[in-house]
Amino acid sequence: MRGILKSSYQNFVHRPITNLINLIGLAVSLALVIILSLYSFGELTTDHFHKNADRVYLYGDNNKIYTPGILKDQIDLSIPGVESSVRIASTWEPPVFQVAEHDPLKSDLIFADEGFFRLFTYKTIEGNPDAAMKEPMSLVITRQLAEKLFGNKQAVGQLVKLNNSNEMTVRAVIERPKENSCLSFNALASIATQKIMQPNEGEFTEWGWSNFQTFLLLKDNTNPQVTAKKIIALFPENRRNDYKNTHLIPLKKIYFSKFEIYGTDFLQAGDKNKVLVLILVAALVLMIALINFVNISSSQWLDKIRQTGVMKVFGARQSEILRNMLAETFLFFLSALFLAAFLAVIFIPDIQNYTGIRVNPKLMFSGPFLSIAIGASFILSFLFSMIPALRVSSSNVLDNLKKNLNPQTGKSPLRGILVAVQFTIAIVLIAFTLLVQKQVNFGSSSFGFNQENTISVNITPQLNQKKDVIRKILLDNPSVKRISMCQYYPGKTISQWGTQLETGNGKKQVNFDTFAADAQFFNLMGLQLVSGRFYSDDLSTDADKVVVNESFLRENKIDNPIGTKLLTRGNAEIIGVVKDFHYKAVNHPIAALAIRNDPSTSYCLVNLQTTNFNSLHNTIQKIKKEITELSPSFPVEIAFFDQAIEKMYQSEILFKKTFSLFAGIAIVICCLGILAMSLFACQRRVKEIGIRKVNGAKVSEILTMLNKDFVKWVAIAFVIATPVAYYVMHKWLENFAYKTELSWWIFALAGLLALGIALLTVSWQSWKAATRNPVEALRYE
Amino acid sequence: MIQLTNIDKYYDSKFQRTYVLKDIILEVKEGEFLSVMGPSGSGKSTLLNIIGLMDSPSSGKYLLDGNSVLDLKEKVRVDYHRNFISFIFQAYHLIEEMTVYENIETPLIYKGVKSHDRESMVADLLDRFNIVAKKDLFPQQLSGGQQQLVGIARAIISKPKLLLADEPTGNLHSTQGEMIMETLKELNNEGMTIIHVTHNEKFAQYGKRIIRLEDGNIRSDTNRKT
Ligand SMILES: Nc1ncnc2c1ncn2[C@@H]1O[C@H](COP(=O)(O)OP(=O)(O)O)[C@@H](O)[C@H]1O
Ligand SMILES: [Mg+2]
Repeated sequence: MRGILKSSYQNFVHRPITNLINLIGLAVSLALVIILSLYSFGELTTDHFHKNADRVYLYGDNNKIYTPGILKDQIDLSIPGVESSVRIASTWEPPVFQVAEHDPLKSDLIFADEGFFRLFTYKTIEGNPDAAMKEPMSLVITRQLAEKLFGNKQAVGQLVKLNNSNEMTVRAVIERPKENSCLSFNALASIATQKIMQPNEGEFTEWGWSNFQTFLLLKDNTNPQVTAKKIIALFPENRRNDYKNTHLIPLKKIYFSKFEIYGTDFLQAGDKNKVLVLILVAALVLMIALINFVNISSSQWLDKIRQTGVMKVFGARQSEILRNMLAETFLFFLSALFLAAFLAVIFIPDIQNYTGIRVNPKLMFSGPFLSIAIGASFILSFLFSMIPALRVSSSNVLDNLKKNLNPQTGKSPLRGILVAVQFTIAIVLIAFTLLVQKQVNFGSSSFGFNQENTISVNITPQLNQKKDVIRKILLDNPSVKRISMCQYYPGKTISQWGTQLETGNGKKQVNFDTFAADAQFFNLMGLQLVSGRFYSDDLSTDADKVVVNESFLRENKIDNPIGTKLLTRGNAEIIGVVKDFHYKAVNHPIAALAIRNDPSTSYCLVNLQTTNFNSLHNTIQKIKKEITELSPSFPVEIAFFDQAIEKMYQSEILFKKTFSLFAGIAIVICCLGILAMSLFACQRRVKEIGIRKVNGAKVSEILTMLNKDFVKWVAIAFVIATPVAYYVMHKWLENFAYKTELSWWIFALAGLLALGIALLTVSWQSWKAATRNPVEALRYE
Repeated sequence: MIQLTNIDKYYDSKFQRTYVLKDIILEVKEGEFLSVMGPSGSGKSTLLNIIGLMDSPSSGKYLLDGNSVLDLKEKVRVDYHRNFISFIFQAYHLIEEMTVYENIETPLIYKGVKSHDRESMVADLLDRFNIVAKKDLFPQQLSGGQQQLVGIARAIISKPKLLLADEPTGNLHSTQGEMIMETLKELNNEGMTIIHVTHNEKFAQYGKRIIRLEDGNIRSDTNRKT
């Protein structure tokens, strides 16, 4: 063992630069592989930690997960296979939590039935969460919220005032799971509490009112398909059609199902494509690193061959030589692995911050992970040492000792092929990075409404009665150009209505998104009218008038919308059609939308005139101060439109950051590899370069000679990469409702960038080699 | 053809300046065959490299063919190497990955000679040195003497005026060494100026003039009587 350590060390310091490049390249890429596999593992095992995860289901379908409150009662009554059912509802707006002597703070709150903690597993820190769910006005909060509200003091038993009206008692503190979960909340209360806080009898008695998610815990061996059928049968006949596609979505699959949720979103959705793409990136990074490893170590075969030649002369047996080489390679992989784990631990927090991906570094030290990592290192080192080892140890003693081996040894075509593979990967990664960037730009440039110099003020319950005062304050401010009272805020949730539409030939069921807005809204947002008119300020003449978007017409197949009526409370009449704009996150398609002339208000949008940053800042401070005075108990929040809009494509931005970070590192590792190869090629050709210069070669000709091979490989890689990249990119774009085009310049630019990077890397060495004085190279030793 | 005046060559290390060549004054006329002798480390190779524009003196004047050749631009220097000066080395310094034929052809490619002209020029030399049969072999497949013949062929294919040989026979048995010296003599008879470095008294006698270096100085400069 000591002997192996010693000879490994000697071999390492013999070529310190290439070996260091090799080790660091391998370690960095293994670190990436570790981080990405921890991330993917976390994502793919979302909600696996719940004890009953295999028996918990969400009832709904991919478009619709809202169910009426009465459904639970019916299920409990008549479906024996269901052990427990739990409704969950969220608040429309996160409530304000107030504790004596503390500033009020906003946090999310959800309501759930008693069985919540039987379905979902959470660690209790203090108190009794089950008991809390039985009593009205009791709160279960997470440790994070407890710390924010009470600092280090004990939370259980304390009083909290919600929205300046309801007093509640904290009954339990729970730990947020370390593992990934689709459920995300900081405060939980019983349904009984909901009935007190948001009294709304119809929610619990009417089939037409769908405000809950219904989760079920099935008994062992209960068939979910059959159960779903039984549940559908519980609906009254006239509702059944709306639910005909519903089924039971297993808890473990909820995270990767796509649906929309309104109000505060306690259900988190993951993106399986993102996970798959990143797994692919991890595989590619590993491949690049292994190719580096093969290329660099095979460039040392010549040395090894000579060395083993000597060993054989001194009587070493073939098996011993083999064993030594294997041990040396394994040692190398193992050091890289440890270095990688170290790098991963150090950089995980930064990477999480920057990319938004969730990684649990503790998983790294779990038994299975360690054994997989070490096992994989062993298998890889076995594979990658066997080929050269066999070649080296079986070769003839005399051949090995000869100073000059077969002239072709240094220039094996295998190495060229491997480098071409690396560049193929690099080009695909660069092209993909460019595409992701293009898609993000596309997403952010085509919202279809004004984004600049607009802020929003949330209309708190205390402000709701004072809208005229607010209007006056704002319009008296010389910096304010326009204001609009509405329920809309970019990317925020919107309600969905289902009602009937009166068309020329009878009634028609229509579903659509909807929000209320005043007449200024259209102007302020810069929306374009397609036909008809926008409503006027006057609620007395234009009350209950509705403007719909183009998708509304398309989805409901209406040709002449003007004058048709929606059978809502006031028989709303469509008076205008607005051009489609992105009112939801860009990864959701624009759906049917109706904008109602209705005094309900949750936001006041303010368009400002100033462009100068300082005066903008002062104006906002002034507005905030004036409005806060009108709303003493509820915090007034001022949000910038463009920041809100950024949130609308945040998942794209985060994906872009994640992908470009990892792709960038992959390309750097690729460069390290060709740097080592060019270093080696130059070392190997020092003499040849000297000879050529003496025979009349110019520096430029030597450079061309040295760089020619690399350029050739990049060219071959480009030819292979283009169709591969095209295919991958095409597939990826299919996920988007609104996609940018695949332009030819992406491929051209990716190829050129790869060529540029390769040339820069290689030329660093080539230039040094080409400008060296040939006297040194040709001196006879 | 070559006029060296007060040539110094020294290396500066931290504490001292080591002179390799000191105040060298040397004139070599066109058509001469000069042998350079001297103990190891006396500066023979350095002198040859300076003459061959592969190294520059620390001070002094150097006129080659009447022109000063100190501080040349790369382009001019390369032109000298393509058309005027050639080298032969003790270690032959053939390119191992290339065949005999390709090795000889190399200078012509850099000179920009057309392909079919190259072919006939290489063929002439292979013929002249009786190595036609070896043209597709790699250098390691030849004996030392044959490799050096290839080295000479490569050196003279560009028809240089000046041939510099640094111990061309140093690695060879005496019979092979003699063959090489005969070849050089023949080339000199055809008008080529040759400067060669040797340790071997007998081979030195091939030269028409012998200089002896010692500690960077020319100790003696004798014309061999013919
Ligand atoms: N780059 C250098 N730095 C310092 N000393 C050098 C360098 N190159 C050569 N020398 C010294 O110059 C002296 C002459 O070398 P050289 O011309 O090769 O001698 P010769 O060919 O006569 O054996 C030697 O002592 C050598 O150590
Ligand atoms: Mg010498």
